[in-house]
Amino acid sequence: MTNPMTRRQFARHTGWFGAAVVLSVAGGEVVSHIADTRDSITAAATADTNTLRFVQVSDSHIGFTGPANTDVTASFTQAVDQVNSLGFRPDFVLHTGDLTHLSAPGQFDQVKQMMSGLRTDRVFTVPGEHDSVDDHGRAYRRAFAQATGGDGWYSFDTHGVHFIALVNTLSLEKLGHLGTEQIDFVRRDVAGLSSDTPIVVFSHIPLFAMYPQWGWSTDDALQVLNLLKRFSSVTALNGHVHQLFSRVEGNVTFHSATTTAYPLPGPGRAPAPTPQVLPARQLHTALGIRTVTYRQGTTALAITDQELA
Amino acid sequence: MTAHQPLRARLSPAPGSARLPAARALTAAAGATLAAGGFVHAQLYLDGYRYLHVVGMLFLVQAAASFGLAVLLLAGTFLRPPALVHVAAAGTALGALAGFAASRTVGVFGFTEHGLQPAPQALVSIVAEAATVLALLAAAYVTVRRARAGTSGPPSLP
Repeated sequence: MTNPMTRRQFARHTGWFGAAVVLSVAGGEVVSHIADTRDSITAAATADTNTLRFVQVSDSHIGFTGPANTDVTASFTQAVDQVNSLGFRPDFVLHTGDLTHLSAPGQFDQVKQMMSGLRTDRVFTVPGEHDSVDDHGRAYRRAFAQATGGDGWYSFDTHGVHFIALVNTLSLEKLGHLGTEQIDFVRRDVAGLSSDTPIVVFSHIPLFAMYPQWGWSTDDALQVLNLLKRFSSVTALNGHVHQLFSRVEGNVTFHSATTTAYPLPGPGRAPAPTPQVLPARQLHTALGIRTVTYRQGTTALAITDQELA
Repeated sequence: MTAHQPLRARLSPAPGSARLPAARALTAAAGATLAAGGFVHAQLYLDGYRYLHVVGMLFLVQAAASFGLAVLLLAGTFLRPPALVHVAAAGTALGALAGFAASRTVGVFGFTEHGLQPAPQALVSIVAEAATVLALLAAAYVTVRRARAGTSGPPSLP
């Protein structure tokens, strides 16, 4: 049998417990106060020029109708609102394809208008296979890629990072395909870059073999990846698979993003990659946005995924 | 035993001076590393994690609890806090480690990160929290071993 706690012991425990609570609350108050102060300073000051922060959204499928998501427009609106509530203004927003579901002009107009509500200076896109239904991507290029070369691929630099946008959905049979012209573009594009330049390459279909049986791969991606082998940090971002997935192969880290529209099954977990109907109120857990942060002088990018709140 | 000893024991139940220097040093180290882990969480909270749904609040709670318990552990170098303080400190550190692991695997309230990013905060945080747990375990071990070897009565945690 244990001895009961004496009054003095009880008072001592209570004192320590009270001290723990008071100190914790005080610490929390101090941190919150600093956060509030920072918010007001940040609102008035310019952004940190040494830090690149951008957002990736993907597979909005505007125009989709089905039980997997009966209102993809509302979901994408929620994603836009969430981007605008991040507490910082992203340097740009990246949409990795399948902006629309059927490439209809009205769908392109709608998604373009919705993305104009993003509080950011620039929006970059690549087409998904749903953005080039029956027209080889012409409607997509009219809406989003008039200033790009070839069939919509391009590159740009910011904060010391070199970005390459690839189009692997136009010559689609089973797997994604880049084609000789685009691979030559990448060869010329990276030729003059120093090997310590961080590279971010983004496309709709994965550049790695995530699940080739469902077309979740790009048949000639290896040629591009070989061109990027000499770089110390290569990050490949993609959409298409409607789920989070990461893989490291050599110097390349691949990150598949989730969707703002509807989930697909995990690789091989269903007969086909068809839209999945989740139980009521659970859809938002499968949808989300991604924040990518890069601080100049470092090599790797920090990737944060969050579901739609 | 004199008649005064039990009274003295009640009035001064846990004099810090009676503790092993090693246990005191380990408790102080645990306080310092717990504070370091809390500082990293506070920094990430300020850097933007506060806008993350649910997770932002968890970062604030972790930082606040770490600061509070770190002060008590450091004070415990001279005073002897009850075992509950050590357990709470270890739990706070273990909770942060579990959250880190979950955020790299199944996600935490829809929040997912990858590898040791953001750098260097992710690495500093897991090292600090692992060190906190190890220091508290070592302090407990040192105290219990001494109590078993040289004194009668139940051992008390450092």
